[in-house]
Amino acid sequence: MTEDSQRNFRSVYYEKVGFRGVEEKKSLEILLKDDRLDIEKLCTFSQRFPLPSMYRALVWKVLLGILPPHHESHAKVMTYRREQYSDVLHALNVIRFVSDATPQVEVYLRMYQLESGKLPRSSSYPLEPEDEAFLAIAKAMEEMVEDTVDCYWIIRCFVNQLNTKYQDSLPQLPKAFEQYLNLEDSRLLTHLKMCSAVSRLPYEIWFKRCFAGCLPESSLQRVWDKVVSGSCKILVFVAVEILLTFKIKVMALNSAEKITKFLENVTQAFYAITF
Amino acid sequence: MAQQANVGELLSMLDSPMLSVRDDVTAVFKENLNSDRGPMLVNTLVDYYLETNSQPVLHILTTLQEPHDKHLLDRINEYVGKATTRLSILSLLGHVVRLQPSWKHKLSQAPLLPSLLKCLKMDTNVVVLTTGVLVLITMLPMIPQSGKQHLLDFFDIFGRLSSWCLKKPGHVAEVYLVHLHASVYALFHRLYGMYPCNFVSFLRSHYSMKENLETFEEVVKPMMEHVRIHPELVTGSKDHELDPRRWKRLETHDVVIECAKISLDPTEASYEDGYSVSHHISARFPHRSAEVTSSPYVDTQNSYGSATSTPYSTSRLTLLNTPGQLPQTLSSPSTRLITEPPQVWCQLATLWSPSMVCGMTTPPTSPGNVPPDLSHPYSKVFGTTGGKGTPLGTPATSPPPAPLCHSDDYVHISLPQATATPPRKEERMDSARPCLHRQHHLLNDRGLEEPPGSKGSVTLSDLPGFLGDLASEEDSIEKDKEEAAISRELSEITTAEVEPVVPRGGFDSPFYRDSLSGSQRKTHSAASSAQGTSMNPEPLHSSLDKLGPDTPKQAFTPIDLPCGGADESPAGGRECQTSVETSILTPSPCKIPPQRRGGFGSGQPPPYDHLFEVALPKTAHHFVIRKTEELLKKAKGNTEEDGVPSTSPVEVLDRLIEQGADAHSKELNKLPLPSKSVDWTHFGGSPPSDEIRTLRDQLLLLHNQLLYERFKRQQHALRNRRLLRKVIKAAALEEHNAAMKDQLKLQEKDIQMWKVSLQKEQARYSQLQEQRDTMVTKLHSQIRQLQHDREEFYNQSQELQTKLEDCRNMIAELRLELKKANNKVCHTELLLSQVSQKLSNSESVQQQMEFLNRQLLVLGEVNELYLEQLQNKHSDTTKEVEMMKAAYRKELEKNRSQVIQQTQRLDTSQKRILELESHLAKKDHLLLEQKKYLEDVKLQARGQLQAAESRYEAQKRITQVFELEILDLYGRLEKDGLPKKLEEEKAEAAEAAEERLDCCNDGCSDSIVGHNEEASGHNGETKTPRPSSTRGSSGSRGGGGSSSSSELSTPEKPPNQRAGPFSSRWETTMGESSASIPTTVGSLPSSKSFLGMKARELFRNKSESQCDEDGVVISSLSESIKPELGKDLGVEAKTSLNLDGPHPSPPNPDSVGQLHIMDYNETHHEHS
Repeated sequence: MTEDSQRNFRSVYYEKVGFRGVEEKKSLEILLKDDRLDIEKLCTFSQRFPLPSMYRALVWKVLLGILPPHHESHAKVMTYRREQYSDVLHALNVIRFVSDATPQVEVYLRMYQLESGKLPRSSSYPLEPEDEAFLAIAKAMEEMVEDTVDCYWIIRCFVNQLNTKYQDSLPQLPKAFEQYLNLEDSRLLTHLKMCSAVSRLPYEIWFKRCFAGCLPESSLQRVWDKVVSGSCKILVFVAVEILLTFKIKVMALNSAEKITKFLENVTQAFYAITF
Repeated sequence: MAQQANVGELLSMLDSPMLSVRDDVTAVFKENLNSDRGPMLVNTLVDYYLETNSQPVLHILTTLQEPHDKHLLDRINEYVGKATTRLSILSLLGHVVRLQPSWKHKLSQAPLLPSLLKCLKMDTNVVVLTTGVLVLITMLPMIPQSGKQHLLDFFDIFGRLSSWCLKKPGHVAEVYLVHLHASVYALFHRLYGMYPCNFVSFLRSHYSMKENLETFEEVVKPMMEHVRIHPELVTGSKDHELDPRRWKRLETHDVVIECAKISLDPTEASYEDGYSVSHHISARFPHRSAEVTSSPYVDTQNSYGSATSTPYSTSRLTLLNTPGQLPQTLSSPSTRLITEPPQVWCQLATLWSPSMVCGMTTPPTSPGNVPPDLSHPYSKVFGTTGGKGTPLGTPATSPPPAPLCHSDDYVHISLPQATATPPRKEERMDSARPCLHRQHHLLNDRGLEEPPGSKGSVTLSDLPGFLGDLASEEDSIEKDKEEAAISRELSEITTAEVEPVVPRGGFDSPFYRDSLSGSQRKTHSAASSAQGTSMNPEPLHSSLDKLGPDTPKQAFTPIDLPCGGADESPAGGRECQTSVETSILTPSPCKIPPQRRGGFGSGQPPPYDHLFEVALPKTAHHFVIRKTEELLKKAKGNTEEDGVPSTSPVEVLDRLIEQGADAHSKELNKLPLPSKSVDWTHFGGSPPSDEIRTLRDQLLLLHNQLLYERFKRQQHALRNRRLLRKVIKAAALEEHNAAMKDQLKLQEKDIQMWKVSLQKEQARYSQLQEQRDTMVTKLHSQIRQLQHDREEFYNQSQELQTKLEDCRNMIAELRLELKKANNKVCHTELLLSQVSQKLSNSESVQQQMEFLNRQLLVLGEVNELYLEQLQNKHSDTTKEVEMMKAAYRKELEKNRSQVIQQTQRLDTSQKRILELESHLAKKDHLLLEQKKYLEDVKLQARGQLQAAESRYEAQKRITQVFELEILDLYGRLEKDGLPKKLEEEKAEAAEAAEERLDCCNDGCSDSIVGHNEEASGHNGETKTPRPSSTRGSSGSRGGGGSSSSSELSTPEKPPNQRAGPFSSRWETTMGESSASIPTTVGSLPSSKSFLGMKARELFRNKSESQCDEDGVVISSLSESIKPELGKDLGVEAKTSLNLDGPHPSPPNPDSVGQLHIMDYNETHHEHS
């Protein structure tokens, strides 16, 4: 009741009419007011609605376990995190792995490598595909989150989540993608198969990098909202939707290389659409 | 070409006298025409006709069928354009048109029509014009809808020709003009009849112009007097007239009759629809026309002089005789009479009705049904006869033996009478008189005149009879008139309007002559011709022609013009005798005015008319009576013939023709006379060619006119046939009606018969009804009686039934009683048996009683005995009982109070229990809350802890990295420090070390040396600078601790095997807490708090179950700590495995086993 009274009395009406998420911010605030944050609720919320950008970082941090559910310990934990960040950064500086000139993204990567114990002996060593994905995600995240500490932590936890929680489900995604595409538009799928482009679709970008660098930031944020809240299937749907959106163009392309190339450069196409 | 030649031959053969040949050739032509569609044959035919005027060719041409019409019309059109062939081709066209070919509707579209119109507009030849106009008039009703395009042309033609009539451009013969005038008159009628609105508007516009005014006055106005107001002028409009729909319903003859209906001209008019007034008026006109020469005619005659007509020679002669007086006399009557005619005519018009009635009563059919064709002959005949008579009669019958008294009488009577009959009389008089005169003259003077006279007498069988009387009377009348006129002159000007008597005075005698001579304009000619018998008229004419064609013209023109002119002055006195001669000329103008006041003779009203009215009442009466008788005898026609003269151009023409005929006949008669030839020779041998030409033309014109009239007659005949059919139909219908009526009557009779029989039947029916009624009443009464009887019987039976019922009831009652009685008997029997039983019982009871009484007695004795015994013993027991009772009561009291106490206690205890329970619940709740909180805090702590751990982890990583780095550096340093070794080798070594490090990171085994260094470096760095000692394991990390303890345990196993683990554990923990990384130290408080928590938990456990021992407490404590430690240990073990993994392997596998054993023991012990 209290919750209802705090909320806008029109919200029910809005929902009926079909404006979803008018009161998202408010309800999110209500959710965030709980002393012990209810992770479950936050998960469902972020899966259902796009997060307001001002709370996105906080919610992500909570959902990714960077911050504990208790408000009291937030400050303290955050200081820990910060110290840890500075320590690691310091260490990297000390061993001269990074310098001020090093791009932030790479700093994040090195820090992550250090923390996961995978730091190569020299920074000149060639990067592995994992690292490439990390870099892409970090690059996207860097634009979304301002604070470097937060950014680092979110990247780190995000990647950890991908590597741990979705470890099993990620390889299944391409199959799921085919299945859904078949449901949605079998012609397109047959076309893709004809061009033998199904196996060569940019699954790497879509599922390993979670569309980092492939979608514009605002869209990416929404997608990642879902990913962070524990659903990796969203990636499949996004991929299917991208294909459907550019169906005509894709249908026009005949060779697998072209299709792949086009889909890899979908961002430009999106920009072309939006602008 | 051969064909052409053939055609030529055939054509020539056409005119062969052999009838059979001619027929054959015609048949051949017709066949050819049927087979051949080309224009050639038609063209040749036309050409041939133009050349030869061959009748058979004409016949063929007029019966041409459809496909050739175009060629024919084209050909005609072609020839119409040429002036030379125009006349003949026009006559051909007239022939063709008059026959009304089946393609007549095409005429309107054919180019011929415009060219014809053009020709009519342009041509100056009167003969051509007249022919053309007649053709046009004939065509008009056939193509009424074409009026739209050519209407203005028609009007223009009319305007042109009407002006021609007056202006006479060029050398146009007067005689031609008469024809032209007649045709224009016909055109007028046609146009007015067909397009009244348009025509009237044309007239209005055309004659509003000054230059045309004269024409209007002279020509058009008189024409207008011959027409009624067209109804279309009221109801129609210009557009409506031209509407083709209007014409679609009308056939050609319908149109013709329509036009004729409008006309008031008796020769033209049609009286189909009962235009009674017009009919009468027109009926009157013929008389006039018969008597009076129309002014134009006269004019032309005069002006033209003797050119054509011999008759005029007489007038000429007279004129010549009195040339000086001519103008005066001519002018005077006209001027005088100007005013009168209107009035007279008004009178006539208004007062005509009665006479009309009379006419209707007496001869209803006569004039109306007589077609003009019929009337003409009569009038002609009349005219001729009269004409012959007059001229001679004028001088001859002058003697006036008249009673004066009549005149006055008449003056008075005439007006009143005028209402009733006068006009009629007048006419009759007019008509009669000339006849008389004629007859007179004929009888008196001419034996030659006999045939015409007899003609007239033949037609008017009675006329001759009374002519004689009238003749004598007339003389007297003349006298009367004379005197009356004189008296008038002197006295009467009062009733000037009504009485046109004024002129009478001057005209007395002249009038008579006037009337005579003027009444028949033909008479002049006729008379002249008649006179010519003695005088050789023709030479005279010719001479006159030569002498004074101009002078008479000039003399006569005044007659026409002065109508409105200023010749009023010449008064009556002088005119008496002098004007006699001149008046011969005047009459015509005089007579005309009545019909057309504004017209030709507008100036000359009919003085004699009036005079007749006034002067001859009796004769008029007589005449009327006679006439009626006569008319009764003769069905029709006569009145018309006798009718008032009219001056319509047609009449004029008629008369002209008649005169011509007369002249011709006379000439024929005179042929034997020598004088003529003498004359001819005398005047220059042969007659002038000019004359012959004109005569021929005239003949042609007459022929045309005749054809036109014939055409009209045909139309009328057509119409008559139709009307006849209608009449027959009507008659048939009437017959039918009559038959129906008869049938109706018969049926009515039947109905009446039926009615009578019905009545009879009704009477019978009523009788029967009565009988039946009586029967019914009788039967009713019987029924009633029977019913009554029945009811009685019914009542009786009912009574009997009731009785029966009663009896039955009684029987039932009796039975009941019987039953009751039986019952009673039974009952009594039963009772008896009972009683007997009871009796036996009572006996036995009595016996028992007796026995018992004996017992009682015995017992009573015994009782008394016991009572005595009892009384003896009772005193001792009471005390004891009382005592016992008291004790018992006390005891009871006590117990009660105790019970109360107990209950109270129970209550309190229950309350207490409740309280405690609530407390308990609260506590539980609290505990739950506490638990939750604890959990919460745990979580919080865990979160923080995790963060801290991650930090720690990071630190570890950092340190590892650092170590790696340091090692790397060391490696380099060593390589640098070994001067003996090659730098290359160093570099290789460094690389190798690096590689190794990598391998180490991946979980590969390190070199021992590297490990030692690392371990020492580690120890030194973290805690103490000294390297690892024997017991320095306390400083070392968990792994080290465990290893050291194991080391310790191995030597010191026996002494403190039991406490060892504990102490060592404590030691290690303490050691760890004291010597481990500061972070862990920092985390101690939290662990402490954790311990506190555990303590609380323990307490709780204690409260729940107090049966735990201290040792157990410790063990449990240790156990609770153990996971933590275990964790630490595990971690440390891992790390030791990671870092020091290779280290333990060299010392002793046994120790490890020992450790295991010890661990096992410990756990075993704890569990135990």
